[in-house]
Amino acid sequence: MKIDFVGKRYYFIALSLVLIVVSLISIFTKGFNVGLEFIGGSELVVKTSENYTVADIRSKIASIGPEFKKARVIEVHAIGQAEEKTFSIVVSPKDEKGALRTYKAEEKGQIAAKVEELLKGKVVSFNEVSGDAADEIKNLTWKAVVFTLLGILVYVALRFKFAFGVGAVLALVHDVIITAGFYSIFGVEMNIAAIAALLTLVGYSVNDTIIVFDRIREFGRKYKGKDMANIVNDSINSVIIRTINTSLTTFFTIFMLLLFTTGSIKSFAFGMTIGVVVGTYSSIFIASPIVIRWVKSI
Amino acid sequence: MRSDRVRLIVSLALLVAAVVAMLLPGGRPASGIAKLFSRIKLGLDLSGGVRLEYRVDIEKGTENPSSVVDDVWMVLRNRLDSAGYTEAVVKKSFRENNSFIIIEIPDATDTTKAEKLLGSTGLLWFGQAIDERDTDPTLNPDDVNLALREGAKWYPDKDGKKWYLIKKEINNRKDLTLSGPRVIEAVPTIDQKGVANYVVSFTLAKEFAEIFKNITKELYVPEELYVPEQVLGAGSTQYQLALKKRLAIVLDDKVQFVGFVVSPIEDGRGQIKGNFTFDQAKELAAILRSGALPARLEKTTASLVSPTLGKDVLQQSLNAGIIGMILVMVYMIAFYGIMGIVAAIGIIYALIIVFGFLAGTGAILTLPGIAGIIFTIGTLVDGNVIIYERIKEEIRAGKTPKAAIEVAFSRSFWTLFDANLTTIIAALFLYYFGTGTIKGFAITTIVGIFAAMFMNLVFSKFLLDAMAGAIRVRKAGGAQ
Repeated sequence: MKIDFVGKRYYFIALSLVLIVVSLISIFTKGFNVGLEFIGGSELVVKTSENYTVADIRSKIASIGPEFKKARVIEVHAIGQAEEKTFSIVVSPKDEKGALRTYKAEEKGQIAAKVEELLKGKVVSFNEVSGDAADEIKNLTWKAVVFTLLGILVYVALRFKFAFGVGAVLALVHDVIITAGFYSIFGVEMNIAAIAALLTLVGYSVNDTIIVFDRIREFGRKYKGKDMANIVNDSINSVIIRTINTSLTTFFTIFMLLLFTTGSIKSFAFGMTIGVVVGTYSSIFIASPIVIRWVKSI
Repeated sequence: MRSDRVRLIVSLALLVAAVVAMLLPGGRPASGIAKLFSRIKLGLDLSGGVRLEYRVDIEKGTENPSSVVDDVWMVLRNRLDSAGYTEAVVKKSFRENNSFIIIEIPDATDTTKAEKLLGSTGLLWFGQAIDERDTDPTLNPDDVNLALREGAKWYPDKDGKKWYLIKKEINNRKDLTLSGPRVIEAVPTIDQKGVANYVVSFTLAKEFAEIFKNITKELYVPEELYVPEQVLGAGSTQYQLALKKRLAIVLDDKVQFVGFVVSPIEDGRGQIKGNFTFDQAKELAAILRSGALPARLEKTTASLVSPTLGKDVLQQSLNAGIIGMILVMVYMIAFYGIMGIVAAIGIIYALIIVFGFLAGTGAILTLPGIAGIIFTIGTLVDGNVIIYERIKEEIRAGKTPKAAIEVAFSRSFWTLFDANLTTIIAALFLYYFGTGTIKGFAITTIVGIFAAMFMNLVFSKFLLDAMAGAIRVRKAGGAQ
């Protein structure tokens, strides 16, 4: 049983283009739900046994201070926490000059006490990131992203012929844009853990592509003179089980993490779950078919 | 086969080393299966606690910035210890021309108290102690009035057991105050007079020497007035007068030391005697040297995770990991039969190596670290899949299982190496540039990859060879 992946490549390329356009539109219009580490400010995580909605929380905490009127409130869901509700409240306290500030020690105590009183709950976490620290974290994160991408590009350049390199990098860009798009569309927090997911995904996506490309090289040498489209299609067919199996096993674990956890790690699991699916799809349906265009011989 | 014996021995040696690292004494108290993990250090995001990071605001042109940071470290350590936070960890960190102090207090449930303690700049001053009490004088109207009359204030000592009535202006002279003096040296030394006690010798910076001379002249009490305390009797008028002329050293409104000035100090070099043990003398020296923070601290990040939240999060991620692992094992066994069982055993093996590494090196396991391990469970069987698919192909091509295993392993090494290298590149840069708990992800991912490679190439090879006779492959399949 052989599936004709290559023959249908235009459908898949069209599907990917639609996904990429939708992702880019969402990223540039709706943007990201940026995490505390990157914007700075304060986050309180409150657990309450009352059956409040996000709107209830907003109206209840508005009296605490001016920054609480503009608070970002998110309900945090996880399996197995039915009897208690958890909310994350993010505020950006400002000083007289309008710059982001951190709370003084006494203030923090008072705010936590007020929130607990108003929401009849318990503050289980209270995090602060100053404006300077957020800038520093952003700066370091950019460096991590740039260096990782450079490292992988160098690796791909050394490892593959130009055409394969282009295919691998296009697939990688494809995966990152679509995964980032999902973060934007679903409003999942874009934090350091999410960036870690994207970077891990970059490494992972290249792996999957390498497996297919290696096989194309091997078959290309073996069946010299055969039509390139056939070689690519045979190669995909011969590695499809192992590509699906390696992705599926990763999907099992990372999807459980998405189901069971809360907070910043859920952002990681979200990106990995989407990324593993998109990355597998792209290495089968996108990376290999597009190399046909460029590769005349191996 | 000889080489398989070597593989078995190496695999077992590593396994034993990992288990020993996990079972050594010194872990958290735990019972049952939890004991296995009791030596793995948990990050504050899992154990609960307070983590504070301050940037040390060092003035430009400071000659030796790292000694300023050392002094800040010492002050904060002292403050935490004296407030009972002996479990707290104080770390120095340097990034991009900035110096940071990081304080981690495990199990703390309140950040306000800790921040108050650390955030205050700290003010060291010298004053004149004119009276003392053993019970809280601020509750006694007479004592409150006394303070008002004298123009002085009651201050508790650092243990909160004694209270002193202290004037900032020595003998009510407005020109005689000494606040925030710079102490350039303060060391514990052995008492020269041969008694086995320690004294603290200190030197004030030049600009404070003059005022200190004048203060000590004012407070100077001839030796015969205070030494023969027992002779004169505590009740004598002279002794009572001397008691009103004691020098007090106060830090953050807590009295650190009160004593007589036995001679005027001309050059800013003084000695403090008080029957100190070495540790007491060292502490007082440290307080003098750096009692007031030599630099302003600016809070950059603060996080509080209540121990209950930490426990919840740990439980959630463990559940995710266990269920994910079982799914992977079931799938591998369903798909690959006997070779799947080898993969399932391999998962357990690699996990023991990872946990052994964490327990042995004292690396801290954070929530992202657990995510890294869970991700590893999913990816470590990738190696098995790659090798098994190759074995199936080779068997279909007519090789015996034994021969197929040999070929599959020799051909899969570079594929595995390539596949893991890209993930390692990403993890290394995350480790280098990452802040906070995300480093934990990088650590467990990298360790996990190496454990997986070892499991795939050495441990599984041995098991597969041993089970080669039982490997069955359907002739029909997707491959051509």
